[in-house]
Amino acid sequence: MENVVSGSSREALLPLGKEVPFADIELALGRSGLDDGKRAPGRALTATIVVVGPHARLAEAAQSVEQLTDVGVRAILISNGDNPSPSVRVLDHAVAIEELRPEYLNNAVAALRLSSLPTVVWWRGGNPEMLDGLAELSDRLVLDAEDPADVWSRVNALSERTATSDLRWARLTRWRALMTQFFDIPEVRDSAGGFTRLTIDGADSHAARLYAGWLSSSLGWTGGVAIDVRPGAWTAAVQRIELGNGDHALTLALGPSGRCIQASAHVQGYDGGSRVVSLGDQCLTTVIGGELRIRSRDQAFERAVAAAQGVA
Amino acid sequence: MNPLQDGLRLEPTPGPAILVIFGASGDLTRRKLLPALYRLSRDQRLPARFSIVGVAREEFGDQGFRDEFLESLREFAGVTHEDEVAHSLCERLHYIGGDFQNPAIYQQLAAQIQTIDATGGVLFYLAIPPGAYPNVIEQLGAAGLATTTGPGWRRIIIEKPFGTDLRTARELNGIVHQHFAEEQVFRIDHYLGKETVQNLMVFRFANGMFEPVWNRRYIDHVQITAAETVGVERRAAYYEGAGALRDMVQNHLMQLLSLVAMEPPIAFTAESVRDRKMDALLSVQPLAGEHVVRAQYRGGWVAGAEVPAYRQEPSVAAASTTETFVALRLQLDSWRWAGVPFFLRTGKRLPKRTTEIAIQFRRPPLQIFKRVSRSSVAPNLLIINVQPDEGISVRFEAKLPGTRMQLAPVMMNFRYGTAFGGSVPEAYETLLLDAMLGDPTLFARHDFVESSWALITPIHERWGAEARATLPDYEAGEWRCDESDALIEREGRRWRTL
Repeated sequence: MENVVSGSSREALLPLGKEVPFADIELALGRSGLDDGKRAPGRALTATIVVVGPHARLAEAAQSVEQLTDVGVRAILISNGDNPSPSVRVLDHAVAIEELRPEYLNNAVAALRLSSLPTVVWWRGGNPEMLDGLAELSDRLVLDAEDPADVWSRVNALSERTATSDLRWARLTRWRALMTQFFDIPEVRDSAGGFTRLTIDGADSHAARLYAGWLSSSLGWTGGVAIDVRPGAWTAAVQRIELGNGDHALTLALGPSGRCIQASAHVQGYDGGSRVVSLGDQCLTTVIGGELRIRSRDQAFERAVAAAQGVA
Repeated sequence: MNPLQDGLRLEPTPGPAILVIFGASGDLTRRKLLPALYRLSRDQRLPARFSIVGVAREEFGDQGFRDEFLESLREFAGVTHEDEVAHSLCERLHYIGGDFQNPAIYQQLAAQIQTIDATGGVLFYLAIPPGAYPNVIEQLGAAGLATTTGPGWRRIIIEKPFGTDLRTARELNGIVHQHFAEEQVFRIDHYLGKETVQNLMVFRFANGMFEPVWNRRYIDHVQITAAETVGVERRAAYYEGAGALRDMVQNHLMQLLSLVAMEPPIAFTAESVRDRKMDALLSVQPLAGEHVVRAQYRGGWVAGAEVPAYRQEPSVAAASTTETFVALRLQLDSWRWAGVPFFLRTGKRLPKRTTEIAIQFRRPPLQIFKRVSRSSVAPNLLIINVQPDEGISVRFEAKLPGTRMQLAPVMMNFRYGTAFGGSVPEAYETLLLDAMLGDPTLFARHDFVESSWALITPIHERWGAEARATLPDYEAGEWRCDESDALIEREGRRWRTL
């Protein structure tokens, strides 16, 4: 479609969707699957997911939410813009509204979310000031900005209004779980006070800082541990994490396949060898699908974000 | 206390543990336990310090057991030999071969546990023929393996069948309790690990709208069906001595019945839940002879293949009177259920593999559409599908579109597979993990097992006294069983068509 503002040509969100006037979205959703002779499959609806961001980042998200609509989720894609007559497409349980003016955003979400079911906002970028209104309308806010600095600084305030999380945080779940399992071992807990260095290699320094912030806030570090975030020419967001003191270390490293993590612990009195566990499915659909299952406030994330802002 | 546990998104994982599987070369281990352990490991549900020790008669050695493990994953979990997680877990497998009656095995096991990790927990899993339970339990006790003075724990999982009647169940409980305290004992019934069975409690007790109608005022009757398409397969030696009543009713169906009938627990804690289930079971009245029917399948067609009669199955006696089908009418003597019959049926070689609980509600007191609608009003139905398509359905009446007032039943379906997405854990994954975490909520307590045997044993004694040469039969691949149909139809009710 033609972008009115820039004049550039680009693929519409939900290209297979039916183009409808804004006022007819509800009607089109209700008739979804009927007009072409198909019957919409009966299903239990579970949530609304609202994806907000610049058009370029919504195209990728659109594929994921199309899959989520197969499991009872209503998806609303809204790209930021300034079009007085935004284009609207409807496909099954998904709606795409392109170039919506910021002042209409809250009204669009309020009108289209499923009543009495959770609403999750997936924030892929835009003016961070819009987050305040979205927080009021949602049960969960999942941040997913390319540069999270502006939004992370707002997390504490947003968390007072709605449960707030971050997709980077979600992707670190397996890495956090493995580190946590090390601390189930008494010898590791006994050695923890002697750790002096945390090194994180990976392509995403924001993720590395978040991880460091989590460890720092959970273990109560007050400056005795040097944190070394080493962004390099890695393909993976996180490649290797080592917490130790030169002689002893807890190490997590991405395996050669990129699908598994190798974990090994060598501390005073314990040499557990290494084990390999799955990194889990890291595709966008699975990660955001996982976020839809979480309802509660994530205070560990809030503390981690606060601490991450002090990590260089 | 683990300082990183707070706020972790994954479920808690157990502390350091060793799983000792007696019967490591058996079918259950290969088909269910090893694939479940692989999936738990893949999903990071196993502790960082975790090992498996297999014990069986065969002299595999560590490497042989590891090869068996990889082979079972390939066959039953679709995991390739190159899988990194499988190979990593493989290195944590150990094996002890020998006769379970030989005390030296247990000394060897004690030494192995000492070598691997004496400070963590040890979970013994009896995946062996039930006849071997007493000996293994006694030997574990004699070797000092049932208790620990250290910071770890010792627990035991015992597979069904737990005894063959009330007397043997009591004897087995007596032997178990000589060596293990009740809180160490996890009597497994894999039905309880299924999502829908757990969801039954959520459905009843987390929703305000269902519990008020969950009683004799609104419910006409309850049907619980566990139907299998398979015959005895390789289990003839066991099944000939067990039959459908022992194999399915005493454990699985009684568990389902108690979950449907129980009063609300005061909290979702193991003891509270199990106390209320126990109350429900104790309210079941002794079964009168006319309220139990049995039958045996004759030849027929199942899933497009011709199948032989039960008596012609390999290793089945030519004059066998083992029942392959049983149907019961139970009455619960409680304020909630007085006058509401519970019909249970289970059988092999039925047309469809399905397990479900159907709650049939009373019809509306006044049939106001009788004069205008030609169709009769079907009673409301709530169906809890336990397997294979886990979910919940509600049947209610709706007006057919058109100018005339005509009614038709419609079904509103909730399916786990489509509502939430993602994969549903296998029952053995849930139960293995719960046992390692020390949560017995989904396991049978000693008094439950004995009380369910107390209901079943008199039936067996009656059947034994009858000494019939033949049983009523039903055609393999058909629902129709005259005796079973008569049991429910004499009260003006019908089995659900599945």
